[in-house]
Amino acid sequence: MMNGSDTRDNQRRILGRVTRHEFVGRSAELERIVSQAGGSADPRGLLVLIAPAAGISELLRQAYDALFERRGEIVPICFAIPRADTTPVSTAIAFLNTFLAQYIAFRRDEPSLCHASLMLRDLLKLAPPSDYDWIEELIEGYELGRFTNDDQALVKFCLSAPQRVPRANGLPYLLLDIVGLADSSQTSKYSLDTQVMATLERSKQPFVIAGLRRHLLVAAHEAECSFDSFDIIRLERLAEEEARQLVDLAARRQLVELNEQTRDLLVQQFDAGPLFLSMLLQAAREKGIGLTNYLACEQLYVDELMGGHLYHHFTCLLDLAAPRPETRRALIRLLGETTASDQRKASFEAWRKLLRLEATELETLLAVLHVHELINWNGALVEASAGPSCWKDYLKIRFQLDVKNEPRALVVADMIAEALKRAPHTMATHYRRAARLPLRSLLAEFNSQLVPRILFHYDRFKESYRGASLEETIAGLDAETDLVRLPQAFHTAPYSAFGKQINLEDESCVVVHGFEGATYSDANQIVWIAVQVDAKLEVDRDLAEVWLDRIDGLAAEFGFPRVRILLISNEGFSETACALLEQRGAYGASRQQIELLAARLGEEPADRPVANESEFVAIWPMGGDNELLAANLVEQIARRSNFKPEAINQIKTAIVEACINAAEHSLSPDRKIYQRFRVDSDRLVVTISSRGVVPTRQSLDQGKKPERDFASSDERRGWGLKLIRSLMDEVEFEQVDDGTSLRMTKYLLKSSD
Amino acid sequence: MGESTGSFVRSHCVGTTAVIYASDYLNKLTGERIERECRRQLDSGCRALVIDFSDTELVNSIGISILLGIIDIAEKSGARVVFSDVNNQTIELFNMLGLTRHVALVRDEQEALTTLGSISSLSVPTTH
Repeated sequence: MMNGSDTRDNQRRILGRVTRHEFVGRSAELERIVSQAGGSADPRGLLVLIAPAAGISELLRQAYDALFERRGEIVPICFAIPRADTTPVSTAIAFLNTFLAQYIAFRRDEPSLCHASLMLRDLLKLAPPSDYDWIEELIEGYELGRFTNDDQALVKFCLSAPQRVPRANGLPYLLLDIVGLADSSQTSKYSLDTQVMATLERSKQPFVIAGLRRHLLVAAHEAECSFDSFDIIRLERLAEEEARQLVDLAARRQLVELNEQTRDLLVQQFDAGPLFLSMLLQAAREKGIGLTNYLACEQLYVDELMGGHLYHHFTCLLDLAAPRPETRRALIRLLGETTASDQRKASFEAWRKLLRLEATELETLLAVLHVHELINWNGALVEASAGPSCWKDYLKIRFQLDVKNEPRALVVADMIAEALKRAPHTMATHYRRAARLPLRSLLAEFNSQLVPRILFHYDRFKESYRGASLEETIAGLDAETDLVRLPQAFHTAPYSAFGKQINLEDESCVVVHGFEGATYSDANQIVWIAVQVDAKLEVDRDLAEVWLDRIDGLAAEFGFPRVRILLISNEGFSETACALLEQRGAYGASRQQIELLAARLGEEPADRPVANESEFVAIWPMGGDNELLAANLVEQIARRSNFKPEAINQIKTAIVEACINAAEHSLSPDRKIYQRFRVDSDRLVVTISSRGVVPTRQSLDQGKKPERDFASSDERRGWGLKLIRSLMDEVEFEQVDDGTSLRMTKYLLKSSD
Repeated sequence: MGESTGSFVRSHCVGTTAVIYASDYLNKLTGERIERECRRQLDSGCRALVIDFSDTELVNSIGISILLGIIDIAEKSGARVVFSDVNNQTIELFNMLGLTRHVALVRDEQEALTTLGSISSLSVPTTH
């Protein structure tokens, strides 16, 4: 593990391009990579799956420096496979050279050797005596293989060089950046990426392989790697705060003047992507441009797209995807037109015809674009709307220049104007997003939790808590007995992910798929759609109706079977709007209610104050009138809690019914009933569980009132649950994977009414 | 008045009225025993049934379902049914499931017999 800040500050900079102190973000990932080297007893590989432009090289260099500084048995070796224009053999030879240089640098504790341009025989001369023999053997083996025609054998030989290090001399730890290999061609069993993966997996040495996420997993599968031997971490874009720090530090290092406004704009414009941010700041330094206003930023941005680092980055990718000029031009046309239109998906066949390519050629082209996430391609369909916004701007420029043959000066002017007009909107969107409730993460926390129903009814909440202090409100909510069970959310996504544009930002409209109740059944499946409505005052009936109609329409379009709409407005809803929500079966809440809900969802039940809590657990075999034993036990417990005789009888009957249900319907494999009795200061909570199948009636019965009428003999069975619901104050099926767990609550206060 | 107290269901007849005693826990097993006894009494010519719950402390839903079955059977036979000496907790359950709309509840066996108008000095003891 890395030590504190002293170590960080004093760490020598060997491969790192910035000091450890200046390396912002990725601390957790860095620590993970460094610690991966640790357990030599069972060395494991680590795959780092990178989002495009998320940046990896400096992370690996920082890890290298940290490990070098440790001077332990781990010998770090860091190698980035170059992008394109290299053969597997030349890459393998470069790897061998780098490996030996870094190994000897470590053994001699001479970091400068990492950067020296030395031939293999020169390196041999620098080898410590205890390493001389095996390095000489390695070089001789290489020289022998170099002049045979078996390239594959030579590549394998070079890649496996770290395995020749005698164990007593250290344990090489490879930090390999194979992002460059994502560009080469489609992955195959014999391509360099799969050879690298296969060699390292079998090396019995720890290693890290970092690559583009869409490429790396495919390569691992092609190499027939066992995923049991890998750990995986994912590298996404930086958090916004980290990206701001990165820009500040990079600007200081590059001596580029900027201010908070322009810094924030750049972070938003490049979606906190370290690669593009670094490119722009580097360009600013090269051109001596200060980024102190939006105009300077956007002028430089467009310059970059027209012929700078950004241009070269995307042009390189386009050239790789479509090496022939005519195909490239057709591709730019196709991408440009598709991105500008509403129809962003097209079939593989349509693309093949439009680009006039053979299927295999098109596959290669699409593979490059897909791996870099500039398109989404699933084999049959191609979706062209992917990629960062700077890619879309680049495409637009290329489309205007190459396809429409517009004058360059006009394109530049148009683009700067557009970027300038967009900048305030970009920031406004950011500010609005920052102010929004994090609906998606909030709803994802719905985990069958029980919360006060009043949190979803603005009118009732207003009546009860208007003017109350926060403490009073929380205390009031704690005492609420009208509770609602939230669904168990299994998928949350912004509405836009369903391909629908409703002019809302991602966080403003969230769709949650979940299950209500204890069973995963059609009847229990539900979709919650939560919308944050923009309004300065209470939302009136008309606006509420517009939203309800809108969401209902969208839900119908997707065929969601059961939908619960939750409208959220900062200031809540007018009286008539609340009436409408009630009438339409929708929930309406103010921001305060949702914040209170969020606070409750974050709480562990154990955190709630519970006075004189005690818990009893019992397990009975099913059958033999053993429900009476449970009834007698609960009678004793309830009596001690001062429940009245009438309430005690109700509890007893409910427990008898629950035990009978469990015994009758569950087909339980162990034929046991598990009972838990929890005594709180104001309630008795009894949970009856059993393993086995979930009775079909259970889901049907949920939420129904007992039928107070004569029934046919078939219908009479299954009355148990209805009785329980009538006898207890709260009855809930808990979410369990196997069998059922019925939780019943009886309140002391209610029972003494 | 003759009475039987066999190992299963205690019952006796008062004229054409059979009085059947439910046990302390009315569940599937004890309910079915009562049902069998009721059938037997009806087959023997009884025109009214009194089910006495004076010993009954706990009733479950299966037991109640069987009682409803007994009311069905009695109706089909043209016989009347009265429940006597039912405790408040059990009355609550009977109410919840709508059973009280189909059967008369009386304070005790004597009131049941009065209600049914079948008080007789002759009683035939039975054991089943």
